[in-house]
This record gives sequence, C-alpha cells and structure tokens, in this order.
Amino acid sequence: MARKSIKEKTPTEPITTVVAMRLYIAGRAPNSVKAIANLQAICRQHLKDCYRLEIVDVCEHPRRALDDGILVTPSLAKLSPRPGANVIGNLSDTSSVLAALGLQAIPQT
Amino acid sequence: MTPAPSAAAEQLTPDTSEAAFRAWLRRLVTGAAELEAFDAGQIDAVMDRDSGSAVLLPEAQTALHDSNRIVLSALDALPGEVCVLDSRGGVVMANKAWRTAGTAHARAGLDVRAGEDFFAACRDVPDGERGYAAQVATGLHQILTRMSQTVRCVYVCHASRKRERFTLTMTGIVSDGPVNALVTREWNGEERSATPAPTTAPRRSRPVTVAPARAKNHLLAALPAKEYARLSTGLEPVTLTYGDVLYEPGETMHDVYFPSDCLVSLLTLVEGRRALEVGLVGREGMIGARLALGATTSSVRALVQGTGTAMRMKSARFLTEFRRLPALQHVLFQFTDTLMIQISQTAACNRFHLVEARLARWLLMTAERMASNEFHLTHEFLADMLGVRREGVTVAAIALQQRNLISYRRGNITILDSAGLETASCSCYRYVIGMGSQVRESAPPGYTSGR
Repeated sequence: MARKSIKEKTPTEPITTVVAMRLYIAGRAPNSVKAIANLQAICRQHLKDCYRLEIVDVCEHPRRALDDGILVTPSLAKLSPRPGANVIGNLSDTSSVLAALGLQAIPQT
Repeated sequence: MTPAPSAAAEQLTPDTSEAAFRAWLRRLVTGAAELEAFDAGQIDAVMDRDSGSAVLLPEAQTALHDSNRIVLSALDALPGEVCVLDSRGGVVMANKAWRTAGTAHARAGLDVRAGEDFFAACRDVPDGERGYAAQVATGLHQILTRMSQTVRCVYVCHASRKRERFTLTMTGIVSDGPVNALVTREWNGEERSATPAPTTAPRRSRPVTVAPARAKNHLLAALPAKEYARLSTGLEPVTLTYGDVLYEPGETMHDVYFPSDCLVSLLTLVEGRRALEVGLVGREGMIGARLALGATTSSVRALVQGTGTAMRMKSARFLTEFRRLPALQHVLFQFTDTLMIQISQTAACNRFHLVEARLARWLLMTAERMASNEFHLTHEFLADMLGVRREGVTVAAIALQQRNLISYRRGNITILDSAGLETASCSCYRYVIGMGSQVRESAPPGYTSGR
C-alpha cells in the first residue's frame, strides 16, 4: 500500500503552523534509534518549537500501527498541516524528510 | 521487548535459514517505498496483519536482545533488591540481589520472579500476611493507574520460623506508553514485637502505611483527614471508559463511584429507548448518591461520557461509612442538593430555552467538569444529551462556531472563548453555579476544611 503522497511546496513559505507528526519505531532497534535522532535534529534545525511529535512503539502498540496502515518501521507520518505524507526508513535522507514535511522542495536531479 | 512470533513465523522450523525468514518478511512488504527501505537495510520491523503483531528483523532482534542484556546486567550489578513490573503487574525481571535475598528468606514475603504476576503473588500469601499484601496490592494499583508516584509499605512475613520485616517501595516509571513500576525491597531485620498483622476488616488499625493519594474528587477532598483515611481503605481506583454504563434504570447499585477526572451523564429513558440527559457529574460529585437516601436501585442510566479515573467503593461499605461519618453525610447532602438543583433546572431549560443556548450551557458544564476546553463528541451524542434532533445540534454548533466561540471539526470541540460562551448560554448555567456555591458557603466550618 503506497501512502507516499509528497507534494511540492515553495521553500520560502514561512512556518507559522505547528507540524504534527507520528513516528512508528520498534523499541531500541538500530534504525529506530537512528530515526529518532535524525528526526529530532531536523526538527531542532528547521521547525524550532513549531512541531508536535508522537512516538509509537509498535512492539508495545502493534494495533495502532496496523490501524494506521503502517507496514514497516521506522515510519514517519506527517499528520498536519495537510497534505499528509509518509517517509519510510531511518530518516537519514534529510532532503526527503524536509520535502515530506513541506519544508523544502524535492531536489531535481 | 520482542513481540510474540506470528503464526506464520512459528511454522518455520528452527533450522530455517535467515534467508527464508527474510523472504517470508519480504512477502509481507508490498509498497514500493517500503520495499526500497527494506532492501536498503533501513527497516527494523514488519507488521504482520494475520497475527496483529510486529515481526522484528534479525538485526533488530539481536540489537534489542543485547540492549536488554545490558540493562539486566546493570540491574543485577546493583547491591539493592530491585524488581521491575510491567503495566499489568507482571514481573519483567527481579535482579540478582532480589533473588538471592529471596532464597535466603525461604522465598517468603512476595518473593516474585520474572514471568510471575505481582498481584497474584499478593493474593497467594499465608493468612497472617493477607492484610500486608492487600495494602501492597492497593499501593501498586495506585502506581499503575497514576494515582500516586511512590508508595512505601512495611511488610512482616514469616521466614524460617522468624517474623522478618521489610519495606517495599514502589515507584512509577512514567514514559509515553503505559506506566511500569519499579519495586525495591529493604529488609529491616527480625520483628520482635507481637504486633498483630493488619487485616482487611475495617475496624482494625493499620500498621502498614500506604500514603493515600490526594483525592481529586471534591467530595472526598472536603472530608477531614481522619474521615478520609478511614474511607480510603474501601476505595479502589478504577478507569472508566467512554461508553461504559455504570447503572441502568431499575438496576441494583452494587458500587458507588467518586469521579477523579472522568465525566458521567445521568440519562432518563423514555419508552425504554429515547434518552435525555438530566444531570452531569464529574469530580465535584459522586455516582450512586441515591443509596444515601435509602434507595438500592438506580433511577437513571449512568453513562461514562469522558474517559478517566474514579474511586470505586462497594455499596455495602459505603452505607456503613455513611451511617458512621457525619462529615460524609454532610458533603453528600450538599451534593445531592446541588444535583437536584441541576436536574430541576435542566428539566426547565430543556422545555423553555433555545438549542443554541442549551448547547453553550452544556459545553461549559462539560469543560468545567473535565477541566479541559477540548473534547471529542459526535452530533448524535449531543442530540441525545440535549433531547433534540441531530439537525438542531448542527445548526446550533454552526451558529456558535460563526461567533468564534467554539471550533467544531470531526467531532473535536474546542472552546475558544469561555466568557463569550457563557454570555451565549442560557441563565440556567449561572443559576446552577450560583446555587451550588451558596450551598457550599452555608456548610458549617470544619466539614469543608481540606486535609
């Protein structure tokens, strides 16, 4: 099931809204730990205090992940502002995370 | 924590190669982005819909196992006796010092081991220790339901023909997920005095000290310390969930409830199906006050409308305490009077006032009792509460929204302007508030003094 729906947005747009995200992880597994660290670094640098992050451990709450249509972890879901977007993996690719969060256009290659 | 393997995973034989396991996992992954990340080695777990659980990849399993082992080794290295419990009271681990001391004391006195249930251990104690174990179980319940952060209990057990005393300290480990608990045990030596063990009988004194959580419920908080301490031995913290029905009309009330942070609607049923809210009870009151007036059955449906916690007490115990404690009688009479004012005013309001003003009143009352300006409810639910059709609620909600008093989106209501909403509400809201405070002010000194 492809839920990736990243839309382009101009990078000059000021951030005025709070970005709500949910990160699905698997306990202290390596990629999950990396994903948390990578996301926190991105948030610190680009969102300051304008974000709300909920971390869901799928080992503790598998039902929540299944109900939300999550197939693998780590997986980041942007909830608001719309449009929503998903990023899969340990979030080491900063540009695709920024693009998903609507903070920067996807680099044209 | 490693999840239980799925049914499909269990079918794999122990000598199945990692490649076969990976191939099975790969079949669960269908999306292109997921597949790409899977192949890049950026995935820790795959969700298995059949078993409803997360299946960890081998690398993640190894890493988690290693990190658990480090934590367990660290706890084992501690000189103090430590036991870690999960959110249901299951024993996750008991460290080496705990196990060694337990063996030295012939496994007496709640000497649980990994995989066992701490609550079951509290139930399965010799007769002479039942009182102590009950206090420990109550304390642990308070920790796991976030009613207390730390509870300390003294326990006397019979170990190797001696009476040994120890202190259990239970502390909540609060994280984003459910609350777990850390229990430490400190042996205080042989108990020489012939102090009788506490029993669960209400008249006995309690040598065990469980610090009762400060009552969030206003009725309990208004009781003098001595009366509250006496009452608290019969109170049990429970979580009430949205949609729970505590009583149906005509049903015997087996328990009474003192809401801490939940909200309960009192609904009158017409022709056995159509419901209309006649009262709303939160932390300022109790459910089952009719018992105090001599009734044994409920006249209304008590429906939990806001999830939260409450203190529950058996009806028989409540009646015993009610007859004995004048302070409890006083606060209950006060509350019953306020509730009667609310019910009669609601009846008049439903007949004479416009839906918009009634909706504003209802939202203010709910916000006050929930101590929150944001809650989730549907049009259908509101229609039932106000005794009108859904369309009526929609029109009223839109009108309040257009005046920027509330925001209503997909069942999420946020009160944006409380003062404005109060102006928009009917006079009933101010009347009930006014009468309620008059009743409280008329209370004789001493009864309403906090602890």
